[in-house]
Amino acid sequence: MLCWSMTARLILIFLAAAVVYAADPPQKTFPFSYTQEDLPNGLRLVTIPTDSPNIVSVYIVVQTGSRNEVELGKTGFAHLFEHMMFRGTEKYPPAKYDEMLKRAGAASNASTSNDLTVFHTTFSKEDLPQILDMEADRFENLKYSLEAFKTESGAVLGEYNKNSANPGQKMEEVLQDTAFDRHTYKHTTMGFLKDIQDMPNQYDYSIKFFDRYYRPEYATIIVTGDVDPKAVRPLVDKTFGGWKRGSYHADIPVEPKQQGPREAHVDWPSPTLPMITIAYKGPAYTDANKETAALDVFSTLVFGQNSELYQKLIVREQKLDSLGANSPASVDPDLFTIRARLKHVEDMAEIRQEILDTVKRFQDELVPDDKLDAVKKRERYGFTMRLDNADTVAQTVAEYVALKRTPDTIDKLYTQYAALTPEDIREAARKYLIDSGRTIVTLTGAAK
Amino acid sequence: MKWLALIPLLSVCAMAQMRTVALPGKTPVVTLRLVFTTGAAQDPADKPGLARLTAEMLSGGGTKDLTYKQVVDQLFPMAANVGSQVDQEMTVFSGATHIDNLDAYYKLFRAMLLEPGWREEDFKRLKDNAINSLKVGLRGNNDEELGKEVLLSELYKGTPYGHYSVGTVSALEKMTLDDVKQFYKQHYAQSNLIVGIAGGYTPEFLDRIKKDFATLPAKDAAPMAAIHPPAIDHTRAIIVEKNTRSVAYSFGFPIDVKRGDPDYPALLVMQSYFGQHRDSGGVLFQHIREIRGINYGDYAYIEYFPRGGQLMEPPQNVARSSQAFQIWIRPAETPQAAFTLRLAVYELNKLIKNGIPQADFDRTKEFLTKYVNVLTKTKRAELGYAIDSAYYGIPNYNSYIKDALAKLTRDQVNAAIRKHLRTDRMVIAAVSAKADDLKKQIIGTGPSTIEYNSPKPAEILAEDKIVGSFDIGLRAEDVKIVPVDSVFQ
Repeated sequence: MLCWSMTARLILIFLAAAVVYAADPPQKTFPFSYTQEDLPNGLRLVTIPTDSPNIVSVYIVVQTGSRNEVELGKTGFAHLFEHMMFRGTEKYPPAKYDEMLKRAGAASNASTSNDLTVFHTTFSKEDLPQILDMEADRFENLKYSLEAFKTESGAVLGEYNKNSANPGQKMEEVLQDTAFDRHTYKHTTMGFLKDIQDMPNQYDYSIKFFDRYYRPEYATIIVTGDVDPKAVRPLVDKTFGGWKRGSYHADIPVEPKQQGPREAHVDWPSPTLPMITIAYKGPAYTDANKETAALDVFSTLVFGQNSELYQKLIVREQKLDSLGANSPASVDPDLFTIRARLKHVEDMAEIRQEILDTVKRFQDELVPDDKLDAVKKRERYGFTMRLDNADTVAQTVAEYVALKRTPDTIDKLYTQYAALTPEDIREAARKYLIDSGRTIVTLTGAAK
Repeated sequence: MKWLALIPLLSVCAMAQMRTVALPGKTPVVTLRLVFTTGAAQDPADKPGLARLTAEMLSGGGTKDLTYKQVVDQLFPMAANVGSQVDQEMTVFSGATHIDNLDAYYKLFRAMLLEPGWREEDFKRLKDNAINSLKVGLRGNNDEELGKEVLLSELYKGTPYGHYSVGTVSALEKMTLDDVKQFYKQHYAQSNLIVGIAGGYTPEFLDRIKKDFATLPAKDAAPMAAIHPPAIDHTRAIIVEKNTRSVAYSFGFPIDVKRGDPDYPALLVMQSYFGQHRDSGGVLFQHIREIRGINYGDYAYIEYFPRGGQLMEPPQNVARSSQAFQIWIRPAETPQAAFTLRLAVYELNKLIKNGIPQADFDRTKEFLTKYVNVLTKTKRAELGYAIDSAYYGIPNYNSYIKDALAKLTRDQVNAAIRKHLRTDRMVIAAVSAKADDLKKQIIGTGPSTIEYNSPKPAEILAEDKIVGSFDIGLRAEDVKIVPVDSVFQ
């Protein structure tokens, strides 16, 4: 039996070794060489040496976010686990875990979005074996009591509370809830308040959630900085090699096609500036065609700081104090959103119409070539300049790993950017920024 | 090596003329950071917010030859911008560019700072932004930052630090373009300027910057006054009343210790042990969040630390000649808010009485010795720290901290704690709904209570009884309630 399993393991290691390669795609925007390797248990390792003397960053991406919260009344659990993962194991109880991090001089934290939960630590390179040992242990052996679970749910409510003074959070909650019917993007990553308040009663479900998603096939380890990939792999084999593969696949509901425009309004109980968000159902992230890149460029060209609309409404007429758009980059189809904050509530109807007219206009007109070239340059320089240290390299790669589980997608996406024509941008706007897929949310504050 | 070269340069040039902090490197990104040692502390008494609005006019307005739109259009393809940051004693203009665009970027940067456009339409827009950032950004949306800034304004009342750097709504409404021009003329001087640069630039490029900025007046027309925070006779509280779900606190008092002072490393160890920013290992975090699940986090500070909700690491170039010890308690649900405040002061009292245990002292020292590498992991941060070191007159921050920690003893830390910290004579700032109710619960000995959603160990419940009646020294007459609309109005 022992011999068989060892043989099987050797075969698996051999197969895994076959996918090890140094990526060298045709057009390189991502300026670092890296290795990408799959362990036999399905865990993926991406190692990226960067010029960061003595510093190493470890980012562990779990491809689980609020998107994976498929059960009614159980929103906010991906984020709750971002918290629970600091509640310790038998080998490293919380106090010991903290002590080890302290001894490593580490900066450590975690975050959650709709598609991922990421745990990250930046520290001095000599502590890499120790950090990997601690990380592997908590991913495999997290153990918490009912009491610890209930206590931590209080901290999650505290996080909701600290955001709750900001009307922007409420706008997001209402936007997602209004725009989506079935897909889990209907709720924010924090979750519905009623579900957060019910979390203390969901200990058993929390264990189920961990058992489903904290599995090697959902996880990718990104190691950047002063590292040698050849030395990192054996460390990861040793620490994460025993982690057992799971079997759960979430059945994420498919959002039916929206059949007409939707609206919602938020009456904010305190004085604040009025806001409007105009959103459209967009595509899922893709590097296989130009849609993601085209909508991103559209958002910058039409609503960015040097766009005609921004210059008119913010700089000249000064009716708004902020304007911007976000194009979707999520695993499943998500929203293209245009957000504006007004100085005077009486301008609301006019601003709304102005934004809608602008969207329509660029479905007819082509953006000028020189403006498109300027955006392409900006995208490239902006991306490169962001990658100035081990931490931001890992952070950037983590965002893409959440989507496609590989940094390869970065160069593929930027190849799409480089090939964009004015027609591509108009086509994406015509396809996605349509009235039947639109949701408008407005917010006005209380009179003084 | 670069510091060996820099230190003599700084000491020769200090105060008389422009200073330079240069960190050449191989990176294709060049980071510029020009810091003027002027700021909100030099706002005229009737014009709080003027220093910041002046900086905003430079970084967010047009130049003599280019409208703001033209500036934005030119910066756009470079993915670059010119940002500004104003605190009490420092005004920062910063940006980064790829080396490909260095010449074009610098031409804009130079013109924005040395040949401002002073257009009325830019002024109106930026003034509106400042007013809205007070009314909406701070008073409306950010209870935590509001609490911190209210605390600091109270601590420094009557001194040049006695107002928030963004100013007040009424003063901003009255401010004119001439006020801004006047501030620029008086305080944007070579004697106030530290030129910071990092990355792949050439020595000739640095010479060009120095030559360009040598056209500024040689000296500040009205140098910075010394800051003497008023004594606090006894603990008092200010509760900002607004419609909000939970209660945010900041409290503390000025301390006579800043970077470079003998007790700074000792207090840095205390800060890290008691409440390292956004770290789960601090005493406050452990007792308030980890054990009791009350809120999102609880931290301690010995230096000004704005935007703590967004920043994971300390900002640079908010150096001050006077610093305050502050505790930041993130929003707690209203029913346990009074207990939470008592718990934080109780923990502070324990810290002063018992000091830092030996094991924690060793661990914290080890942490900080390595953590400084993380703090300076980017060229941008390294440059920011180097500029602050020039301001405080200390060597490279990393070596300053590592050398000081190597010599530091636990007795020194505990002595510094006893010398500089206290639980009486504090100012407490709270942001809360139903301020009268909160006031009743935080004065005297309570008792304040807490209810848990799960069983707690007997020792925690026993401690809760003590905490609930712990007198933080507040008398009813020392609690002031102010409506949120009146704050920074």
